[in-house]
Amino acid sequence: MNVPEVKIRVNYNEGKVEPLKEVIEASPSNSLGNAAVLGWRILLDSFNIFPGPLPGIVLRLGDKALGLIVPLLLFLAWDLVTRYELTPPQLLPLPKQVAVTFLDMVRSGELLVNLKISLLRVTAGFFAGSFTGLVLGTAMGLSKKIESYVGPLFHSIRQVPLLGWIPLLILWLGMGETFKVFFIAIGAFYAMTLNTFQGIRDVPGEYLEVARVFEYNRLQLFRKIVFPAALPSILTGVRIGLSLSWFLLVGAEFTGASEGIGYSIAWARQIFQTDVVIAGVFVIGVIGLLMDRVVTLLEGYLLRWRRKTFTA
Amino acid sequence: MGESGALQLSNLNKKFTVEGEKISIIENVNLTVSPGEFISIIGPSGCGKTTLLRMIIGLESDYEGDIILAGKKLNGPSLNRGVVFQDHRLLPWLTIEKNVGLGLEGKKYARNRKQIIQDHLELVGLRGFEKAYPYQLSGGMAQRASIARALVNRPEILLLDEPLGALDALTRMYMQQELEKIWQQEGGITMIMVTHDVEEAIYLSDKVVIMSNRPGKLKKTIPVPLARPRDRASYDFIKIKEEVLREFHLQAEHQFSYAI
Amino acid sequence: MSTKAISLTQLQEKVRTITLPLIVLLVWWVVSHREIVSPHFLPRPETVVGAFFTLVEEGILSFNLKMSFTRVISGFLLGISFGLVLGIAMGLSRTVEKLLRPLFDAVRQVPMLGFIPLIILWCGVNETSKVVFIAIGAYYSVVLNTFEGIRSVKKEYLEVAQVFEFGRFNLLRKFVLPAALPSILTGLRLGLSKSWMLVVGAELFTATKGGIGSMMAEGREQWRMEIVFVGIIIVGLVGFVLDQLLKVLEGRLLRWRKAID
Ligand SMILES: Nc1ncnc2c1ncn2[C@@H]1O[C@H](COP(=O)(O)OP(=O)(O)O)[C@@H](O)[C@H]1O
Ligand SMILES: [Mg+2]
Repeated sequence: MNVPEVKIRVNYNEGKVEPLKEVIEASPSNSLGNAAVLGWRILLDSFNIFPGPLPGIVLRLGDKALGLIVPLLLFLAWDLVTRYELTPPQLLPLPKQVAVTFLDMVRSGELLVNLKISLLRVTAGFFAGSFTGLVLGTAMGLSKKIESYVGPLFHSIRQVPLLGWIPLLILWLGMGETFKVFFIAIGAFYAMTLNTFQGIRDVPGEYLEVARVFEYNRLQLFRKIVFPAALPSILTGVRIGLSLSWFLLVGAEFTGASEGIGYSIAWARQIFQTDVVIAGVFVIGVIGLLMDRVVTLLEGYLLRWRRKTFTA
Repeated sequence: MGESGALQLSNLNKKFTVEGEKISIIENVNLTVSPGEFISIIGPSGCGKTTLLRMIIGLESDYEGDIILAGKKLNGPSLNRGVVFQDHRLLPWLTIEKNVGLGLEGKKYARNRKQIIQDHLELVGLRGFEKAYPYQLSGGMAQRASIARALVNRPEILLLDEPLGALDALTRMYMQQELEKIWQQEGGITMIMVTHDVEEAIYLSDKVVIMSNRPGKLKKTIPVPLARPRDRASYDFIKIKEEVLREFHLQAEHQFSYAI
Repeated sequence: MSTKAISLTQLQEKVRTITLPLIVLLVWWVVSHREIVSPHFLPRPETVVGAFFTLVEEGILSFNLKMSFTRVISGFLLGISFGLVLGIAMGLSRTVEKLLRPLFDAVRQVPMLGFIPLIILWCGVNETSKVVFIAIGAYYSVVLNTFEGIRSVKKEYLEVAQVFEFGRFNLLRKFVLPAALPSILTGLRLGLSKSWMLVVGAELFTATKGGIGSMMAEGREQWRMEIVFVGIIIVGLVGFVLDQLLKVLEGRLLRWRKAID
């Protein structure tokens, strides 16, 4: 072990490893993060994989590494508990088996087919719902008259929890695709209407005065001032709407479907294929995360102007 | 209390790191404040007055030099130093009475807590507002409540950071008189006030300390040997005002504008 | 003075407010009475009202509501107690945040309904699984809002606490929690409305006896459209009332905030 490079000091009296000051200063993380980083260093050094000082990126990963501790421990516990069959295997399969099942689902194309169907449904529902919501929200935001005509009805219908619509929609639309797309659309519709409306109403009066000074007409006013100023709020609507749509898709596929990722989880549950259920939950989680990331990227691009003022 | 209760700042230096660069804010500050004195620190905005005050309170660590009170080196905030922040910082979720009582935790005050609060509300002229919430007070009233809050546990030193800065001119003049009254009634309390109002500093202080900009250094100390209450339009007052303004390369133009 | 003018615009506003609902009712009445749409799909308004009274008289509605309430309250309390603990812990300690936040965020990406199959597998089709499921809904909102609330406590207030030499416990009780309270209450409100939605979902998706959701599910299976209608209206009303109740509580606890009108 290359002691001078590792820059730690072993305190034998108290039985602990103390990092030298330079290492701490090089890393912005807190002491536990440092400990994790140092632990890695010692490990790597003892295997002689990474001779020399750790690259800065590893040091910066110190904080992130902390977040891995608990998941790793849980995973370890899962592995041990199943390995020694402390829980019934039909309730909690081995991690390895879940991984194998997942790979099987990918290889056989089963996962892809189901995902494709589900994503098609979400896309259709989301776009239909959010477009309608954008139009209604804009109309209500721009005109107090429209707001007082439509607002009260909209807000009272909104009191019904989304899942409560399922029985009625099934009776009206049957269990087919129409029902699913319509149901998914409701979530995006609410989120978009509310956030667009709020975004437009919150446009600061100062900006509107700027527009008056420049003698903008209504279209210019909307395009140059109102819409850009409301955009952050509208994008929040997109984010919430998309995650609601994904949530409602699972609900729709639980109720009546013969394919789709939600359906395959529900079916696996009934025939006690716990490994498929766990793999499926994992997949819908990852898709949800990806959707959120896409919206974040979109936000980052569309709201470039905001980023600048933030760092200045 | 005598000389032993004096506050001594010796060789104070303070740097802030801004975007990786160390910038010197306070440089080589030396000052001795005798017990019971009223001192004003005056200087252009951004010169480090608030920083210096925060160092005396104990809210800034990581500086060079010593701050010594009654022979002991200071380390962190303590109840023997009260503070009135520029923004009154009353807790919005507590009534005025409870805000003023914040410094009276602990058994020591269990018996006469209510009485102390009452007395201090009386002192700052806020009787009858015990149950009001901060949002129900005007700016001047909130600042008075904040002064009462700082005084309840009888600190030896009261530090004031532009306490009247946010008030309109008339309320400010009235509050200056009130502040002087409080200082006299609290007998023996040391007050250190930061301000950028020259007249306010001269009206209230025994000494005016002038601070320069970038880095903040103590440039000059000007004594104000005038009898109280002071007359802002008097010859001596204006002479001192001219002297202070000269330090900022300014002329006292509207000397008699207050005598209307 | 201009009281007449004000009442006129107010009147106008009221008229606008009820115009659209009235039109909807009228269309409903005409369409169902003329049987333009089969009564199987659209019951007559008076049939729905009649069904409501029958359900009330026979005690069916109160029984089902009681079942749903019991589930919501136990799930909500379970969820918020865990949520408050985690939210406060993560808010107060950056180390706890770094340890647990990534896992929390990852799990949160799974749409809540996705947990139903797992919960049923592990807890069985019984009350426990429903309560656990409802708890998850309240849990997320409470954790996030408590965390945000604590983190957004202003530094200025904490300095006041420092000046008065407050200990850790008093700091938490007198400064951090009151300052975080508005956000925590928002979390509770969001959590309660999620819990209410999820109880309906849980009752719909897991074969259940009792509960407003299963009443609607049965109505659907028997093609009793009027029961489904009553269910939807009741579910919406209850959700609204629950939200209003928490708003009243909020108003009480946050008297110190300037009323924003
Ligand atoms: N925490 C901080 N980090 C970096 N710079 C600071 C910090 N606090 C104050 N400063 C800088 O120090 C200088 C003095 O600030 P301050 O003491 O507030 O001035 P004053 O009260 O005299 O107006 C300013 O230039 C300010 O930008
Ligand atoms: Mg200042």
